[in-house]
Amino acid sequence: MSTAAGAGTAMPLKRLIGIWPVAAVGLAMLLLWPLIAFLVNLPAAREALAQGGCTGLYACASTLNSPILPAPLQFLDGAAQMLNPLWGRSSLLFNALYTGWETLLGLLLALFVSFFTGTLLAFSRPFERATLPWIVASQNVPIIALAPVLVVLLGRFGVQGLLPKALISGYIAFFALTVGVARGLASLDPLRLDLMRSYCASPWFVYWHVRLPVALPLIMTNLKVAAAGALVGAIVAELSTVTFSGLGAMLLARYYAGDIIGLWVVMAASGLLGIALYALLSLLERVVTPWSPRH
Amino acid sequence: MVSQTLTLLRKPPLAFGIWLACTAALLALSGPAPAWAGTPALLLGLAGALAIGPLAGGPTRRNPLAALLPPFYSGVLAVALIQALLEIHRVPSGLIPTPLAMFQAAWADRALLLQDSWQTFVLESLSGMAVGIAIGLALAVLIVRVRFFERGLLPYMVMLASLPVPAMAPLAVAAAGTGWGSKALLVAVVTIFPTVINGVRGMQSASPLSLDLLRSYGLEGLRTFAPLRLPAALPFLFTALKIDLTLALISAIVGEFFGSPGQGLGFRIKFEVSMFNMPLVWAAILYTTVLGLALYALIVVLERRLTFWHPSMR
Repeated sequence: MSTAAGAGTAMPLKRLIGIWPVAAVGLAMLLLWPLIAFLVNLPAAREALAQGGCTGLYACASTLNSPILPAPLQFLDGAAQMLNPLWGRSSLLFNALYTGWETLLGLLLALFVSFFTGTLLAFSRPFERATLPWIVASQNVPIIALAPVLVVLLGRFGVQGLLPKALISGYIAFFALTVGVARGLASLDPLRLDLMRSYCASPWFVYWHVRLPVALPLIMTNLKVAAAGALVGAIVAELSTVTFSGLGAMLLARYYAGDIIGLWVVMAASGLLGIALYALLSLLERVVTPWSPRH
Repeated sequence: MVSQTLTLLRKPPLAFGIWLACTAALLALSGPAPAWAGTPALLLGLAGALAIGPLAGGPTRRNPLAALLPPFYSGVLAVALIQALLEIHRVPSGLIPTPLAMFQAAWADRALLLQDSWQTFVLESLSGMAVGIAIGLALAVLIVRVRFFERGLLPYMVMLASLPVPAMAPLAVAAAGTGWGSKALLVAVVTIFPTVINGVRGMQSASPLSLDLLRSYGLEGLRTFAPLRLPAALPFLFTALKIDLTLALISAIVGEFFGSPGQGLGFRIKFEVSMFNMPLVWAAILYTTVLGLALYALIVVLERRLTFWHPSMR
């Protein structure tokens, strides 16, 4: 008991020591940001200075209308503007949640399908030999081209809104998940299988109570890998379909408006969304597989 | 009696006959394409797929050509089935083209598509990958050598690896112009992170015993990289290379949507979609897939040659 308490008090200190290089590098990047922005924007700033309208090279570089890299204040200003009506339909938060919801829906669809294909792959060698090369090849198909086709196709059957984008996002996630399910189901210790046989357990029981729990940690790991791909898929789908919500739609609007500061803000938001998704799935992993070691 | 017939059906020559008959019947159906043939076509496809089972089973063979046969069977059958179904249901070519129309377009417009492939694969993807991998390796060496960077820089690299790529595509085009340079820049940025993460993991996988041996020879610090750490990292670097290739192709193609000098496979796809010239769109997708797979196969062959000593290769 006392050793556990001792370890408990020692942990925060250890963590603080472990975290300081991360903080130092982060701080250095923050301090370097204005400098890099200044250097990158120098040619444009010279032009602006020659035309007049601003005083001093540095002031010019940090108040450009379309800088290559915005200065910190410009960036924060842009972010504040895009968050202004916090729950409005043009707000960054609303659109990020919309894209996040699409991604989760796509992951769910991919998980559902990959349970079937993964199970078939794990249990049927001919199926694996005949289809696995094609599943690998499907990874190289640029799904972006499928997006408009899929939207038109599904629109004929009255399917609109989220689903086409969720399908495209699920398509990207499908591969990693299928491989995870197949490998997880196949990675059973033969000794356990022998034990189950000695109990006369039905194949169904073995699948649900022995194979699936063994496979879950690997499936959860691959789910996290797939989430990054699914987010890419959702954003790509929004870029190439006619849509009015989502980060992809915002990107497109900012791009056509020539608003580079806005592009940087949306890009940062999509990065944050990726990290949030990862954190959410890590949480889910702890809930679903509480027995696996914590990293 | 029934089981006897079933065992007979499982004989490879007979299964091959069934597969061939189903494929031929499907192709024959797609010619006149009567409206009643939808269900028979599906049944033929199912029968052909079941016949692949005995063909693809059997003991594992080392012959690489034998491994190519099962996917060939399933691929040809799938193409025949799709061709028949599309013809029977009279799907307009502006929506989904038939596979044969796609192959025809891929052959007829080969000069155009090869030029696009050169732009997308060599100018944008490969040059970007070379730069990105070089930067990634340099960062990996830095992280392995200096403990401060391992603690401080690696977490950021892991974080940046989950950044969605296409979010950066409009930015790269807006900042670096519409030429191939902006796409190469995008590819370089995207390939850095997987290379760093896998490179660090691989260089740290060198066994402490081997490091001790090198120290007894007087080799320490940076001089351990050429004889020990880089070879130890090779299996991990090949994994990174495969991830890099997929990411590079996607980012080059998405980048081309936002601006390109009138060529490139991504530009071709986007342009022809707006013209509803779907056979050419799918032909462009075919070129991307086949060339991507060829590069992937090249990486796998190199991996087998260079990391034959690793347990996963035996």
